[in-house]
Amino acid sequence: MPKDLSDNICKEAAFERVYNKYSNDVHDFLYYKYGAQYNPRDKVQDAFIKLWDNCKQVTFAKAKSFLFTVANNMMLNEIKHQKVVLKHQKLKPKHYTNETPEFVLEQEQYLEKYNTVLSKLKEEQRVAFLLSKVEGKKHSEIADMLGVTQKVVEYRIYTAFNILKTELENFKIK
Amino acid sequence: MAEDDLLKKWLNNELSDAEMVAFSKREDYAINKNIIEKALHFKASEFSKVKDFESFKQTYQNRLQVRSIQWFKPLLRIASVVVIALAVYFTWFMNDGLIEKQTLYAETTTIELPDLSSVTLNADSKIFYNEESWQDARKLNLVGEAYFKVAKGTTFDVITDNGTVTVVGTEFNVKSRDKYFEVICYEGIVRVVSDTITRQLKAGNTYRILNNSFSEAKSTDIAPQWLDQRSRFKAVPLGEVISELERQYNVKVSVKTTDSERLFTGGFSHDNLENALSAITQPMNLKFEISSSNQVLIHGNKD
Repeated sequence: MPKDLSDNICKEAAFERVYNKYSNDVHDFLYYKYGAQYNPRDKVQDAFIKLWDNCKQVTFAKAKSFLFTVANNMMLNEIKHQKVVLKHQKLKPKHYTNETPEFVLEQEQYLEKYNTVLSKLKEEQRVAFLLSKVEGKKHSEIADMLGVTQKVVEYRIYTAFNILKTELENFKIK
Repeated sequence: MAEDDLLKKWLNNELSDAEMVAFSKREDYAINKNIIEKALHFKASEFSKVKDFESFKQTYQNRLQVRSIQWFKPLLRIASVVVIALAVYFTWFMNDGLIEKQTLYAETTTIELPDLSSVTLNADSKIFYNEESWQDARKLNLVGEAYFKVAKGTTFDVITDNGTVTVVGTEFNVKSRDKYFEVICYEGIVRVVSDTITRQLKAGNTYRILNNSFSEAKSTDIAPQWLDQRSRFKAVPLGEVISELERQYNVKVSVKTTDSERLFTGGFSHDNLENALSAITQPMNLKFEISSSNQVLIHGNKD
C-alpha cells in the first residue's frame, strides 16, 4: 500500500500504525540495553506520548529515529536522576521442564553464567547481539535503529559472541 | 585472537553452502550453536512487553487530562494577576472620580470630603460622589444615615431615594431608611425636598416622613445621639427601632405576636446587647431571648 511518507501522523489511524510498527522494537532495545530496572515499558509509553504531542512536526519517515532517540534520552535522564551507577539487571532466563534434575540444574547454572556474561558486555555489544540473535533483526535494520553502519553492527555482534564463547568454555554441553 | 572469518560469516548469515558444510564440521560447532540457541532464553518479551495501542491511547487521554489541568492552573494564576492588575489600574487611573464609601452592620465611619466637609456614616449606610467634579458641584448620594458637617461654599446636596437635602455650610443629620426619612438640622439652614413637601429647617428642626406621612418636630440636641454610641427615638414605630438595633449589633431579631407599629420613645446604647434589648422591651411590656447564633426573639409578656 503506497504511503505518503510525509503523512501527518496526528491522525489516529496513522499513529496507530507507527505504534504497532515500532513499540516492540523500542521496548526491546531499551530492555536489552538497560535491563528491566528502569522500567522500559514506561519509557516507551512516554516516548510515544511525546511523539503524539509533536505529531505535527514529525513525519512518518522520521518517527523511528525520533522514538529511539527520545526513549534512550528519557532512560538516560532517569538513570542520571537516580544517581545510581548503572548495574545491568540480570535477565532472568526462562526455565526448561521435562528434563532430569541434573540436566535442569546444569542448564540453570549455564544460563546464570550466560546472564552474568551478558550483563558484563558493553551495552552496544549486548544490544546488537540480542537484537540479531534473539529478535532476528537484520543487520541493516539494527544499523538503522542504532544509527550506526552495518559493519559496526557486525563487529559488535562478533565481539559479543567471542566473549560469551570464552567465558562459557568451562561448561560441558549435553 | 585471530580473525575467524568463517565464524564472522556464520554470524552474518553469509556463508555459502560449501562454507556452511565446512563450518558445521568444526570441533566448536556444537558450542557455537549452543550459544546462539541459549540466547533465546533472554528474549525481552518473556519478561516485559509494551501495551497494545488501545491501552496506550487510554494512557494518552489520561495524561492529556492531567496536563490540561496542569496547563489550566498556571493560566488561572496569570489570569487572576491580569485581572487584579487591570482592577488596580482602573480604580486608580481610569476612575472617573466616583468615590463610594460604605459601612457594614455595627460599623460607623467618618469621611472627609474634598472640600473638608465631613460625613459620619451610621451603620449599614453608603454614600457615593464624584471626586473630580466636587469643586463644581457638591452633590452626593446617601443610602442609610449620616451626619454632615458641611464647610461653607457652594450648595451641598444630599440625594436620597426619599428626598434631597440642600445646604450651604451647616450641620445636619439625614436618615434615609426604608420607610423612614428624617432630616434634623443642628446648625445653619437646611432645605429638604421630598415629593411635594419642601421645608427649610433651622437649627433644632426635624423633618420626617414615616410610612408616607409627614411630620415636623423640634429637637434640643446639638448633635445626633448615635455619634455618641446611643440611639434615640421619639415616637418611632417599634419596627424601626428594632431595625436600628439590628444594624448596630449585627443581629437578627424576629418579633412575635406584637404590633411593630407601636410607637416607641426612648433609646438604647450600642455597647451592650442585653441592656439595649431591655431598654426596648421593658417599656413596651415585651420579653426577649437571645439564642447562641446572634438571633433574638422578642415576644409579648403573656406568651
